[in-house]
Amino acid sequence: MTWSRESKLNGFLVLLSVMAAWELVSRTEMLNPLFFPPMSKILRSFFSLVFSGEILAQILSSMRRAAAGYLLAALVCIPLGIIMGLFNSVYRALEVVIETARPLPPPVVVPVAMLFFGLGDGMKVFVIFFSCLWPILLNTMDGVRNIDRVLIHTARTFGLSQGRAILKVILPAASPQIMTGLRISLAITLILVVISEMVGSSDGIGYFILDSQRRLKVDQMYAGMLSLALLGYLLNQLFLLFSNTFLSWHRGMLRSDK
Amino acid sequence: MSILDVEGLSKSYRQAGGESTLAIENISFQVNEGEFVSLVGPSGCGKTTLLMCMAGLIAPSAGRVVVKAAEVDGPPRNLVLVFQEYNKSLFAWRTVLGNVLFGLEVKGKPAREAEEKASYLIGLVGLDGFERHYPWELSGGMQQRVAIARALAYEPEVLLMDEPFGSVDAMTRLELEDGLLRLWKELGTTILFVTHDIEEAIYLSDRIYVLGRRPSRVIQAVEVRLGRPRNQLTTRADASFMELRNEIYKQTAPRLSSGW
Ligand SMILES: Nc1ncnc2c1ncn2[C@@H]1O[C@H](COP(=O)(O)OP(=O)(O)OP(=O)(O)O)[C@@H](O)[C@H]1O
Ligand SMILES: [Mg+2]
Repeated sequence: MTWSRESKLNGFLVLLSVMAAWELVSRTEMLNPLFFPPMSKILRSFFSLVFSGEILAQILSSMRRAAAGYLLAALVCIPLGIIMGLFNSVYRALEVVIETARPLPPPVVVPVAMLFFGLGDGMKVFVIFFSCLWPILLNTMDGVRNIDRVLIHTARTFGLSQGRAILKVILPAASPQIMTGLRISLAITLILVVISEMVGSSDGIGYFILDSQRRLKVDQMYAGMLSLALLGYLLNQLFLLFSNTFLSWHRGMLRSDK
Repeated sequence: MSILDVEGLSKSYRQAGGESTLAIENISFQVNEGEFVSLVGPSGCGKTTLLMCMAGLIAPSAGRVVVKAAEVDGPPRNLVLVFQEYNKSLFAWRTVLGNVLFGLEVKGKPAREAEEKASYLIGLVGLDGFERHYPWELSGGMQQRVAIARALAYEPEVLLMDEPFGSVDAMTRLELEDGLLRLWKELGTTILFVTHDIEEAIYLSDRIYVLGRRPSRVIQAVEVRLGRPRNQLTTRADASFMELRNEIYKQTAPRLSSGW
Protein backbone atom coordinates (compact mmCIF):
# COMPACT_ATOMS: atom_id res chain seq x y z
CA MET A 1 0.00 0.00 0.00
CA THR A 2 2.67 2.51 1.00
CA TRP A 3 4.74 1.29 -1.88
CA SER A 4 1.95 1.87 -4.35
CA ARG A 5 1.10 5.30 -2.93
CA GLU A 6 4.72 6.29 -3.07
CA SER A 7 5.11 5.10 -6.63
CA LYS A 8 1.98 7.00 -7.60
CA LEU A 9 3.45 10.15 -6.07
CA ASN A 10 6.68 9.55 -7.96
CA GLY A 11 4.74 9.03 -11.15
CA PHE A 12 3.03 12.35 -10.60
CA LEU A 13 6.38 14.10 -10.08
CA VAL A 14 7.70 12.61 -13.33
CA LEU A 15 4.62 13.88 -15.15
CA LEU A 16 5.19 17.38 -13.75
CA SER A 17 8.83 17.28 -14.84
CA VAL A 18 7.86 16.23 -18.36
CA MET A 19 5.43 19.14 -18.52
CA ALA A 20 8.07 21.52 -17.24
CA ALA A 21 10.57 20.22 -19.81
CA TRP A 22 7.94 20.68 -22.49
CA GLU A 23 7.46 24.28 -21.44
CA LEU A 24 11.21 24.85 -21.52
CA VAL A 25 11.72 23.28 -24.94
CA SER A 26 9.01 25.48 -26.39
CA ARG A 27 9.99 28.73 -24.63
CA THR A 28 13.66 28.37 -25.62
CA GLU A 29 12.50 27.59 -29.18
CA MET A 30 14.44 24.35 -29.32
CA LEU A 31 11.35 23.21 -31.22
CA ASN A 32 9.29 25.63 -33.25
CA PRO A 33 6.69 26.99 -30.81
CA LEU A 34 4.25 27.31 -33.68
CA PHE A 35 4.10 23.50 -33.88
CA PHE A 36 5.08 22.89 -30.29
CA PRO A 37 3.37 25.50 -28.13
CA PRO A 38 4.30 25.85 -24.45
CA MET A 39 2.45 23.60 -22.03
CA SER A 40 0.94 26.59 -20.25
CA LYS A 41 -0.74 27.69 -23.44
CA ILE A 42 -2.02 24.19 -24.16
CA LEU A 43 -3.47 23.94 -20.68
CA ARG A 44 -5.12 27.33 -20.98
CA SER A 45 -6.70 26.26 -24.24
CA PHE A 46 -7.70 22.95 -22.70
CA PHE A 47 -9.49 24.57 -19.78
CA SER A 48 -11.28 27.10 -21.91
CA LEU A 49 -12.49 24.25 -24.15
CA VAL A 50 -13.62 22.33 -21.11
CA PHE A 51 -15.51 25.29 -19.68
CA SER A 52 -17.13 26.20 -22.98
CA GLY A 53 -18.43 22.63 -23.17
CA GLU A 54 -16.86 22.13 -26.58
CA ILE A 55 -14.57 19.26 -25.58
CA LEU A 56 -17.35 17.47 -23.74
CA ALA A 57 -19.60 17.66 -26.80
CA GLN A 58 -16.89 16.22 -29.04
CA ILE A 59 -16.08 13.46 -26.58
CA LEU A 60 -19.74 12.57 -26.23
CA SER A 61 -20.13 12.12 -29.99
CA SER A 62 -17.05 9.91 -30.04
CA MET A 63 -18.21 7.92 -27.02
CA ARG A 64 -21.59 7.25 -28.58
CA ARG A 65 -19.95 5.61 -31.58
CA ALA A 66 -17.39 3.83 -29.45
CA ALA A 67 -20.03 2.43 -27.11
CA ALA A 68 -22.23 1.27 -29.98
CA GLY A 69 -19.41 -0.61 -31.74
CA TYR A 70 -17.91 -2.00 -28.55
CA LEU A 71 -21.16 -3.21 -27.01
CA LEU A 72 -22.30 -4.66 -30.31
CA ALA A 73 -19.05 -6.63 -30.51
CA ALA A 74 -19.47 -7.88 -26.93
CA LEU A 75 -23.09 -8.81 -27.53
CA VAL A 76 -22.23 -10.84 -30.62
CA CYS A 77 -18.88 -12.29 -29.61
CA ILE A 78 -19.50 -13.49 -26.07
CA PRO A 79 -22.36 -15.81 -27.11
CA LEU A 80 -20.55 -16.84 -30.30
CA GLY A 81 -17.33 -17.45 -28.40
CA ILE A 82 -19.18 -19.63 -25.90
CA ILE A 83 -20.73 -21.68 -28.69
CA MET A 84 -17.35 -22.06 -30.39
CA GLY A 85 -15.75 -23.04 -27.11
CA LEU A 86 -18.41 -25.65 -26.38
CA PHE A 87 -18.82 -27.20 -29.80
CA ASN A 88 -15.68 -28.25 -31.52
CA SER A 89 -17.57 -28.66 -34.79
CA VAL A 90 -18.53 -24.98 -34.83
CA TYR A 91 -14.96 -24.03 -34.02
CA ARG A 92 -13.61 -26.22 -36.83
CA ALA A 93 -16.12 -24.77 -39.28
CA LEU A 94 -15.17 -21.18 -38.49
CA GLU A 95 -11.47 -21.67 -37.82
CA VAL A 96 -10.22 -20.97 -41.35
CA VAL A 97 -12.39 -17.89 -41.81
CA ILE A 98 -11.26 -16.49 -38.49
CA GLU A 99 -7.60 -17.22 -39.01
CA THR A 100 -7.78 -15.52 -42.41
CA ALA A 101 -9.67 -12.43 -41.34
CA ARG A 102 -8.01 -11.91 -37.98
CA PRO A 103 -4.51 -10.79 -39.12
CA LEU A 104 -6.04 -7.92 -41.13
CA PRO A 105 -5.08 -4.64 -39.46
CA PRO A 106 -8.46 -3.18 -38.47
CA PRO A 107 -8.05 0.19 -40.29
CA VAL A 108 -8.05 -1.75 -43.55
CA VAL A 109 -11.82 -2.18 -43.26
CA VAL A 110 -12.33 1.59 -43.30
CA PRO A 111 -12.59 1.78 -47.12
CA VAL A 112 -14.97 -1.18 -47.19
CA ALA A 113 -17.11 0.35 -44.47
CA MET A 114 -17.17 3.62 -46.40
CA LEU A 115 -18.58 1.82 -49.44
CA PHE A 116 -21.45 0.42 -47.40
CA PHE A 117 -22.12 3.17 -44.91
CA GLY A 118 -20.69 6.33 -46.47
CA LEU A 119 -19.11 8.68 -43.96
CA GLY A 120 -21.86 8.48 -41.35
CA ASP A 121 -21.94 6.91 -37.92
CA GLY A 122 -22.62 3.48 -39.40
CA MET A 123 -19.15 3.42 -40.90
CA LYS A 124 -17.45 4.23 -37.60
CA VAL A 125 -19.56 1.82 -35.60
CA PHE A 126 -18.79 -0.93 -38.08
CA VAL A 127 -15.04 -0.26 -38.03
CA ILE A 128 -15.01 -0.34 -34.21
CA PHE A 129 -17.17 -3.42 -34.16
CA PHE A 130 -14.87 -5.24 -36.58
CA SER A 131 -11.71 -4.40 -34.68
CA CYS A 132 -13.20 -5.36 -31.30
CA LEU A 133 -14.43 -8.71 -32.56
CA TRP A 134 -11.28 -10.73 -32.29
CA PRO A 135 -10.03 -10.19 -28.77
CA ILE A 136 -13.49 -10.79 -27.32
CA LEU A 137 -14.29 -13.75 -29.53
CA LEU A 138 -10.98 -15.54 -29.14
CA ASN A 139 -10.62 -14.93 -25.42
CA THR A 140 -14.17 -16.09 -24.72
CA MET A 141 -13.64 -19.20 -26.81
CA ASP A 142 -10.34 -19.95 -25.11
CA GLY A 143 -11.80 -19.36 -21.66
CA VAL A 144 -14.61 -21.81 -22.34
CA ARG A 145 -12.33 -24.44 -23.88
CA ASN A 146 -10.08 -24.31 -20.83
CA ILE A 147 -12.84 -25.02 -18.32
CA ASP A 148 -12.05 -28.25 -16.52
CA ARG A 149 -14.19 -31.22 -17.54
CA VAL A 150 -15.00 -31.92 -13.90
CA LEU A 151 -16.75 -28.55 -13.66
CA ILE A 152 -18.92 -29.33 -16.67
CA HIS A 153 -19.65 -32.77 -15.24
CA THR A 154 -20.66 -31.12 -11.97
CA ALA A 155 -23.19 -28.94 -13.77
CA ARG A 156 -24.57 -31.98 -15.56
CA THR A 157 -24.85 -34.20 -12.49
CA PHE A 158 -26.88 -31.48 -10.76
CA GLY A 159 -29.30 -31.81 -13.65
CA LEU A 160 -28.66 -28.48 -15.35
CA SER A 161 -29.84 -28.13 -18.91
CA GLN A 162 -27.28 -26.86 -21.40
CA GLY A 163 -28.76 -23.38 -21.26
CA ARG A 164 -28.67 -23.11 -17.49
CA ALA A 165 -25.22 -24.66 -17.37
CA ILE A 166 -23.99 -21.89 -19.65
CA LEU A 167 -25.45 -19.19 -17.41
CA LYS A 168 -24.61 -20.68 -14.03
CA VAL A 169 -21.31 -22.45 -14.64
CA ILE A 170 -19.68 -21.81 -18.01
CA LEU A 171 -20.08 -18.05 -18.13
CA PRO A 172 -18.74 -17.41 -14.61
CA ALA A 173 -15.94 -19.95 -15.05
CA ALA A 174 -14.79 -18.26 -18.25
CA SER A 175 -15.43 -14.72 -17.01
CA PRO A 176 -11.79 -13.86 -16.15
CA GLN A 177 -10.70 -14.53 -19.70
CA ILE A 178 -13.77 -12.87 -21.20
CA MET A 179 -12.85 -9.82 -19.17
CA THR A 180 -9.33 -9.89 -20.61
CA GLY A 181 -10.80 -9.82 -24.11
CA LEU A 182 -13.09 -6.93 -23.18
CA ARG A 183 -10.17 -4.98 -21.80
CA ILE A 184 -8.00 -5.41 -24.89
CA SER A 185 -10.93 -4.39 -27.06
CA LEU A 186 -11.51 -1.28 -25.00
CA ALA A 187 -8.06 0.02 -25.91
CA ILE A 188 -8.61 -0.87 -29.57
CA THR A 189 -11.94 0.96 -29.56
CA LEU A 190 -10.26 4.21 -28.63
CA ILE A 191 -7.75 3.87 -31.46
CA LEU A 192 -10.36 3.07 -34.07
CA VAL A 193 -12.84 5.75 -33.09
CA VAL A 194 -10.13 8.37 -33.62
CA ILE A 195 -8.95 6.88 -36.93
CA SER A 196 -12.47 6.61 -38.31
CA GLU A 197 -13.28 10.18 -37.27
CA MET A 198 -10.13 11.47 -38.91
CA VAL A 199 -11.06 9.76 -42.17
CA GLY A 200 -14.41 11.42 -42.43
CA SER A 201 -16.56 13.15 -39.88
CA SER A 202 -17.91 16.50 -38.81
CA ASP A 203 -17.65 15.94 -35.09
CA GLY A 204 -15.98 13.76 -32.49
CA ILE A 205 -12.64 14.11 -30.78
CA GLY A 206 -10.69 12.60 -33.72
CA TYR A 207 -12.26 15.11 -36.08
CA PHE A 208 -11.60 17.94 -33.61
CA ILE A 209 -7.88 17.15 -33.39
CA LEU A 210 -7.41 16.92 -37.15
CA ASP A 211 -9.56 19.99 -37.80
CA SER A 212 -7.64 22.08 -35.27
CA GLN A 213 -4.38 21.07 -36.95
CA ARG A 214 -5.73 22.02 -40.39
CA ARG A 215 -6.80 25.42 -39.16
CA LEU A 216 -3.42 25.81 -37.44
CA LYS A 217 -5.00 26.06 -33.99
CA VAL A 218 -2.12 24.01 -32.74
CA ASP A 219 -2.70 24.58 -29.02
CA GLN A 220 -6.27 23.32 -29.50
CA MET A 221 -4.95 20.26 -31.31
CA TYR A 222 -2.74 19.45 -28.34
CA ALA A 223 -5.60 20.17 -25.94
CA GLY A 224 -7.69 17.62 -27.85
CA MET A 225 -4.90 15.08 -27.52
CA LEU A 226 -4.68 15.79 -23.82
CA SER A 227 -8.39 15.23 -23.34
CA LEU A 228 -8.12 11.98 -25.29
CA ALA A 229 -5.35 10.79 -23.00
CA LEU A 230 -7.44 11.67 -19.95
CA LEU A 231 -10.43 9.90 -21.44
CA GLY A 232 -8.41 6.75 -22.06
CA TYR A 233 -7.09 6.82 -18.52
CA LEU A 234 -10.56 7.32 -17.10
CA LEU A 235 -12.10 4.53 -19.14
CA ASN A 236 -9.38 2.12 -18.12
CA GLN A 237 -9.85 3.01 -14.44
CA LEU A 238 -13.59 2.53 -14.75
CA PHE A 239 -13.05 -0.81 -16.38
CA LEU A 240 -10.66 -1.91 -13.66
CA LEU A 241 -13.14 -0.86 -11.00
CA PHE A 242 -15.85 -2.89 -12.72
CA SER A 243 -13.72 -5.98 -13.23
CA ASN A 244 -12.23 -5.84 -9.73
CA THR A 245 -15.66 -5.85 -8.15
CA PHE A 246 -16.95 -8.46 -10.51
CA LEU A 247 -13.88 -10.70 -10.37
CA SER A 248 -12.72 -10.16 -6.81
CA TRP A 249 -12.85 -13.96 -6.32
CA HIS A 250 -10.44 -14.45 -9.19
CA ARG A 251 -7.90 -11.92 -7.93
CA GLY A 252 -8.00 -13.57 -4.54
CA MET A 253 -7.57 -16.98 -6.12
CA LEU A 254 -4.54 -15.89 -8.13
CA ARG A 255 -2.96 -14.43 -5.01
CA SER A 256 -3.57 -17.66 -3.09
CA ASP A 257 -1.84 -19.75 -5.81
CA LYS A 258 -4.51 -22.45 -5.87
CA MET B 1 -36.54 -53.38 -4.56
CA SER B 2 -33.48 -52.47 -6.55
CA ILE B 3 -33.05 -48.82 -7.46
CA LEU B 4 -29.68 -49.21 -9.18
CA ASP B 5 -28.88 -52.02 -11.60
CA VAL B 6 -25.52 -52.37 -13.26
CA GLU B 7 -25.72 -55.02 -15.96
CA GLY B 8 -22.63 -56.35 -17.72
CA LEU B 9 -20.96 -52.96 -17.79
CA SER B 10 -17.66 -52.60 -19.67
CA LYS B 11 -15.71 -49.52 -20.53
CA SER B 12 -12.57 -49.24 -22.60
CA TYR B 13 -10.73 -45.98 -23.13
CA ARG B 14 -9.17 -45.18 -26.45
CA GLN B 15 -5.61 -44.08 -25.95
CA ALA B 16 -3.49 -41.55 -27.81
CA GLY B 17 -1.59 -44.33 -29.62
CA GLY B 18 -4.82 -45.83 -30.94
CA GLU B 19 -4.82 -48.81 -28.58
CA SER B 20 -7.53 -49.03 -25.99
CA THR B 21 -7.39 -49.81 -22.29
CA LEU B 22 -10.11 -51.92 -20.83
CA ALA B 23 -10.86 -50.25 -17.51
CA ILE B 24 -13.81 -52.33 -16.34
CA GLU B 25 -15.14 -55.54 -17.80
CA ASN B 26 -18.57 -57.05 -17.44
CA ILE B 27 -19.45 -55.61 -14.04
CA SER B 28 -22.87 -56.44 -12.64
CA PHE B 29 -24.37 -55.61 -9.28
CA GLN B 30 -27.45 -54.11 -7.68
CA VAL B 31 -28.26 -51.61 -5.00
CA ASN B 32 -31.63 -51.66 -3.29
CA GLU B 33 -33.65 -48.60 -2.45
CA GLY B 34 -32.47 -46.96 0.76
CA GLU B 35 -29.34 -49.09 1.04
CA PHE B 36 -25.84 -47.96 1.88
CA VAL B 37 -23.49 -49.89 -0.40
CA SER B 38 -19.72 -49.52 -0.71
CA LEU B 39 -17.34 -50.35 -3.52
CA VAL B 40 -13.77 -51.16 -2.58
CA GLY B 41 -10.94 -51.98 -4.93
CA PRO B 42 -7.30 -51.19 -5.64
CA SER B 43 -6.25 -47.88 -7.14
CA GLY B 44 -6.74 -47.75 -10.90
CA CYS B 45 -9.20 -50.64 -10.98
CA GLY B 46 -11.91 -48.49 -12.53
CA LYS B 47 -14.07 -47.29 -9.66
CA THR B 48 -14.27 -43.73 -10.95
CA THR B 49 -14.95 -45.02 -14.46
CA LEU B 50 -17.81 -47.10 -13.10
CA LEU B 51 -19.37 -44.16 -11.22
CA MET B 52 -19.06 -41.87 -14.25
CA CYS B 53 -20.95 -44.41 -16.34
CA MET B 54 -23.60 -44.74 -13.65
CA ALA B 55 -23.98 -40.97 -13.43
CA GLY B 56 -24.54 -40.81 -17.20
CA LEU B 57 -21.47 -38.64 -17.75
CA ILE B 58 -19.60 -41.10 -19.96
CA ALA B 59 -21.05 -43.80 -22.17
CA PRO B 60 -20.16 -47.43 -21.41
CA SER B 61 -18.67 -49.60 -24.18
CA ALA B 62 -21.04 -52.43 -23.34
CA GLY B 63 -23.76 -53.22 -20.85
CA ARG B 64 -26.14 -50.79 -19.23
CA VAL B 65 -27.09 -49.03 -16.03
CA VAL B 66 -30.68 -48.81 -14.88
CA VAL B 67 -31.72 -46.20 -12.33
CA LYS B 68 -35.28 -46.39 -11.02
CA ALA B 69 -36.32 -48.63 -13.89
CA ALA B 70 -34.99 -46.21 -16.53
CA GLU B 71 -31.90 -46.96 -18.59
CA VAL B 72 -29.21 -44.33 -18.14
CA ASP B 73 -28.28 -42.44 -21.30
CA GLY B 74 -27.55 -39.05 -19.75
CA PRO B 75 -27.37 -37.71 -16.19
CA PRO B 76 -30.41 -39.22 -14.43
CA ARG B 77 -32.62 -36.89 -12.47
CA ASN B 78 -32.24 -37.21 -8.71
CA LEU B 79 -28.84 -38.85 -8.90
CA VAL B 80 -25.77 -36.84 -7.93
CA LEU B 81 -22.12 -37.80 -8.11
CA VAL B 82 -19.60 -36.37 -5.62
CA PHE B 83 -16.39 -36.21 -7.63
CA GLN B 84 -13.06 -37.57 -6.50
CA GLU B 85 -11.45 -34.37 -7.84
CA TYR B 86 -13.41 -32.23 -5.40
CA ASN B 87 -11.11 -29.22 -5.84
CA LYS B 88 -11.91 -28.99 -9.54
CA SER B 89 -15.58 -29.56 -8.91
CA LEU B 90 -16.18 -26.57 -6.60
CA PHE B 91 -17.25 -23.22 -8.03
CA ALA B 92 -14.35 -20.86 -7.37
CA TRP B 93 -16.58 -17.81 -7.87
CA ARG B 94 -19.00 -18.86 -5.17
CA THR B 95 -18.41 -18.81 -1.43
CA VAL B 96 -18.85 -21.93 0.69
CA LEU B 97 -22.46 -20.93 1.28
CA GLY B 98 -22.93 -20.17 -2.42
CA ASN B 99 -21.56 -23.57 -3.38
CA VAL B 100 -23.83 -25.41 -0.97
CA LEU B 101 -26.79 -23.32 -2.17
CA PHE B 102 -26.13 -24.28 -5.78
CA GLY B 103 -28.26 -27.41 -5.93
CA LEU B 104 -31.04 -25.72 -4.01
CA GLU B 105 -31.09 -22.82 -6.47
CA VAL B 106 -31.22 -25.27 -9.33
CA LYS B 107 -34.23 -26.93 -7.72
CA GLY B 108 -35.87 -23.54 -7.21
CA LYS B 109 -36.09 -23.74 -3.40
CA PRO B 110 -37.23 -20.49 -1.76
CA ALA B 111 -34.19 -18.46 -0.61
CA ARG B 112 -34.98 -18.52 3.13
CA GLU B 113 -35.53 -22.25 3.27
CA ALA B 114 -32.48 -22.92 1.10
CA GLU B 115 -30.24 -20.82 3.28
CA GLU B 116 -31.38 -22.56 6.44
CA LYS B 117 -30.79 -25.96 4.88
CA ALA B 118 -27.35 -24.92 3.61
CA SER B 119 -26.31 -23.55 7.00
CA TYR B 120 -27.40 -26.76 8.67
CA LEU B 121 -25.29 -28.86 6.29
CA ILE B 122 -22.30 -26.57 6.57
CA GLY B 123 -22.51 -27.11 10.31
CA LEU B 124 -22.87 -30.84 9.85
CA VAL B 125 -19.62 -31.07 7.89
CA GLY B 126 -17.94 -28.91 10.53
CA LEU B 127 -17.46 -25.71 8.56
CA ASP B 128 -19.48 -23.19 10.60
CA GLY B 129 -17.88 -19.79 10.40
CA PHE B 130 -16.53 -20.45 6.90
CA GLU B 131 -19.77 -19.62 5.05
CA ARG B 132 -18.31 -16.48 3.47
CA HIS B 133 -14.97 -18.02 2.53
CA TYR B 134 -14.09 -18.96 -1.02
CA PRO B 135 -13.03 -22.54 -1.82
CA TRP B 136 -9.45 -21.47 -2.53
CA GLU B 137 -9.23 -20.10 1.00
CA LEU B 138 -9.80 -23.59 2.42
CA SER B 139 -7.61 -26.66 2.91
CA GLY B 140 -8.13 -29.73 0.74
CA GLY B 141 -10.08 -31.56 3.41
CA MET B 142 -12.33 -28.55 3.96
CA GLN B 143 -12.97 -28.25 0.23
CA GLN B 144 -13.92 -31.89 0.15
CA ARG B 145 -16.48 -31.31 2.88
CA VAL B 146 -17.98 -28.39 0.94
CA ALA B 147 -18.46 -30.70 -2.04
CA ILE B 148 -20.17 -33.26 0.21
CA ALA B 149 -22.46 -30.64 1.77
CA ARG B 150 -23.35 -29.32 -1.68
CA ALA B 151 -24.43 -32.78 -2.85
CA LEU B 152 -26.36 -33.55 0.35
CA ALA B 153 -28.22 -30.23 0.18
CA TYR B 154 -29.60 -31.26 -3.20
CA GLU B 155 -31.24 -34.26 -1.51
CA PRO B 156 -30.88 -36.66 -4.42
CA GLU B 157 -32.59 -40.03 -4.20
CA VAL B 158 -29.33 -41.69 -5.19
CA LEU B 159 -25.95 -40.36 -4.12
CA LEU B 160 -22.75 -41.68 -5.65
CA MET B 161 -19.65 -40.72 -3.66
CA ASP B 162 -16.15 -41.18 -5.06
CA GLU B 163 -13.68 -41.40 -2.17
CA PRO B 164 -15.32 -38.43 -0.48
CA PHE B 165 -13.20 -38.55 2.67
CA GLY B 166 -9.86 -39.05 0.93
CA SER B 167 -8.28 -35.77 2.07
CA VAL B 168 -9.74 -35.60 5.54
CA ASP B 169 -7.79 -36.39 8.71
CA ALA B 170 -8.65 -39.53 10.69
CA MET B 171 -10.57 -37.79 13.49
CA THR B 172 -12.69 -35.62 11.22
CA ARG B 173 -13.26 -38.66 9.08
CA LEU B 174 -14.93 -40.55 11.91
CA GLU B 175 -17.20 -37.58 12.58
CA LEU B 176 -18.08 -37.26 8.91
CA GLU B 177 -18.89 -40.98 8.71
CA ASP B 178 -21.40 -40.59 11.52
CA GLY B 179 -22.79 -37.37 10.04
CA LEU B 180 -23.28 -39.09 6.71
CA LEU B 181 -25.04 -42.05 8.33
CA ARG B 182 -27.34 -39.71 10.24
CA LEU B 183 -28.32 -37.85 7.05
CA TRP B 184 -28.70 -41.07 5.13
CA LYS B 185 -31.26 -42.26 7.69
CA GLU B 186 -32.95 -38.87 7.82
CA LEU B 187 -33.31 -38.45 4.06
CA GLY B 188 -33.76 -42.07 3.06
CA THR B 189 -31.21 -41.59 0.30
CA THR B 190 -29.60 -44.55 -1.43
CA ILE B 191 -25.82 -44.25 -1.24
CA LEU B 192 -23.11 -45.92 -3.30
CA PHE B 193 -19.82 -45.12 -1.66
CA VAL B 194 -16.34 -45.69 -3.08
CA THR B 195 -13.45 -46.00 -0.68
CA HIS B 196 -9.99 -47.55 -0.32
CA ASP B 197 -10.57 -48.05 3.35
CA ILE B 198 -12.04 -51.50 3.99
CA GLU B 199 -12.91 -50.77 7.63
CA GLU B 200 -14.70 -47.60 6.61
CA ALA B 201 -16.69 -49.61 4.08
CA ILE B 202 -17.70 -52.13 6.74
CA TYR B 203 -18.59 -49.46 9.27
CA LEU B 204 -20.87 -47.60 6.87
CA SER B 205 -22.45 -50.22 4.66
CA ASP B 206 -25.22 -52.75 4.36
CA ARG B 207 -23.27 -54.47 1.61
CA ILE B 208 -19.80 -54.23 0.08
CA TYR B 209 -18.76 -55.08 -3.45
CA VAL B 210 -15.07 -55.89 -3.75
CA LEU B 211 -13.50 -55.21 -7.14
CA GLY B 212 -10.37 -56.94 -8.46
CA ARG B 213 -7.50 -55.54 -10.47
CA ARG B 214 -8.02 -53.98 -13.89
CA PRO B 215 -9.94 -54.87 -15.96
CA SER B 216 -12.00 -55.34 -12.88
CA ARG B 217 -14.99 -57.46 -12.09
CA VAL B 218 -16.85 -57.87 -8.85
CA ILE B 219 -14.87 -60.55 -7.05
CA GLN B 220 -16.88 -60.64 -3.87
CA ALA B 221 -20.16 -59.37 -2.46
CA VAL B 222 -20.12 -59.08 1.32
CA GLU B 223 -23.28 -58.61 3.37
CA VAL B 224 -22.66 -56.55 6.50
CA ARG B 225 -25.09 -57.64 9.19
CA LEU B 226 -24.00 -55.26 11.92
CA GLY B 227 -26.78 -53.54 13.81
CA ARG B 228 -27.65 -49.88 13.47
CA PRO B 229 -27.18 -47.22 14.69
CA ARG B 230 -23.47 -47.91 14.57
CA ASN B 231 -20.90 -46.62 16.95
CA GLN B 232 -17.29 -45.85 16.20
CA LEU B 233 -16.10 -47.58 19.36
CA THR B 234 -18.40 -50.56 19.89
CA THR B 235 -19.14 -51.40 16.25
CA ARG B 236 -15.49 -51.42 15.30
CA ALA B 237 -14.70 -53.64 18.31
CA ASP B 238 -17.44 -56.11 17.42
CA ALA B 239 -16.24 -59.65 16.68
CA SER B 240 -18.22 -59.86 13.44
CA PHE B 241 -16.62 -56.55 12.33
CA MET B 242 -13.18 -58.17 12.67
CA GLU B 243 -14.34 -61.28 10.91
CA LEU B 244 -15.64 -59.31 7.93
CA ARG B 245 -12.42 -57.33 7.82
CA ASN B 246 -10.29 -60.43 7.74
CA GLU B 247 -12.47 -62.05 5.12
CA ILE B 248 -12.12 -59.07 2.77
CA TYR B 249 -8.40 -58.69 3.41
CA LYS B 250 -7.88 -62.35 2.59
CA GLN B 251 -9.65 -61.83 -0.73
CA THR B 252 -7.93 -58.59 -1.73
CA ALA B 253 -4.45 -59.23 -0.36
CA PRO B 254 -3.91 -62.97 0.11
CA ARG B 255 -0.25 -62.45 1.03
CA LEU B 256 -1.24 -60.63 4.24
CA SER B 257 -2.35 -63.85 5.93
CA SER B 258 1.10 -65.42 5.64
CA GLY B 259 2.60 -62.63 7.78
CA TRP B 260 6.30 -61.87 8.20
N1 LIG C 1 -9.99 -40.49 -19.53
C1 LIG C 1 -9.25 -41.61 -19.57
N2 LIG C 1 -8.57 -41.95 -20.69
C2 LIG C 1 -7.85 -43.07 -20.75
N3 LIG C 1 -7.73 -43.95 -19.73
C3 LIG C 1 -8.37 -43.68 -18.59
C4 LIG C 1 -9.16 -42.49 -18.44
N4 LIG C 1 -9.67 -42.46 -17.19
C5 LIG C 1 -9.22 -43.58 -16.59
N5 LIG C 1 -8.45 -44.32 -17.41
C6 LIG C 1 -7.81 -45.60 -17.11
O1 LIG C 1 -8.81 -46.46 -16.63
C7 LIG C 1 -8.35 -47.18 -15.49
C8 LIG C 1 -9.30 -46.97 -14.34
O2 LIG C 1 -9.26 -45.62 -13.93
P1 LIG C 1 -10.20 -45.06 -12.76
O3 LIG C 1 -9.92 -43.63 -12.61
O4 LIG C 1 -11.59 -45.47 -13.05
O5 LIG C 1 -9.64 -45.89 -11.51
P2 LIG C 1 -10.02 -45.78 -9.96
O6 LIG C 1 -10.39 -47.12 -9.50
O7 LIG C 1 -11.00 -44.70 -9.74
O8 LIG C 1 -8.62 -45.39 -9.30
P3 LIG C 1 -8.34 -44.54 -7.95
O9 LIG C 1 -8.72 -45.41 -6.81
O10 LIG C 1 -6.87 -44.30 -7.99
O11 LIG C 1 -9.15 -43.30 -8.05
C9 LIG C 1 -6.95 -46.71 -15.21
O12 LIG C 1 -6.06 -47.70 -15.68
C10 LIG C 1 -6.79 -45.45 -16.01
O13 LIG C 1 -5.49 -45.36 -16.54
MG1 LIG D 1 -10.98 -42.95 -8.78
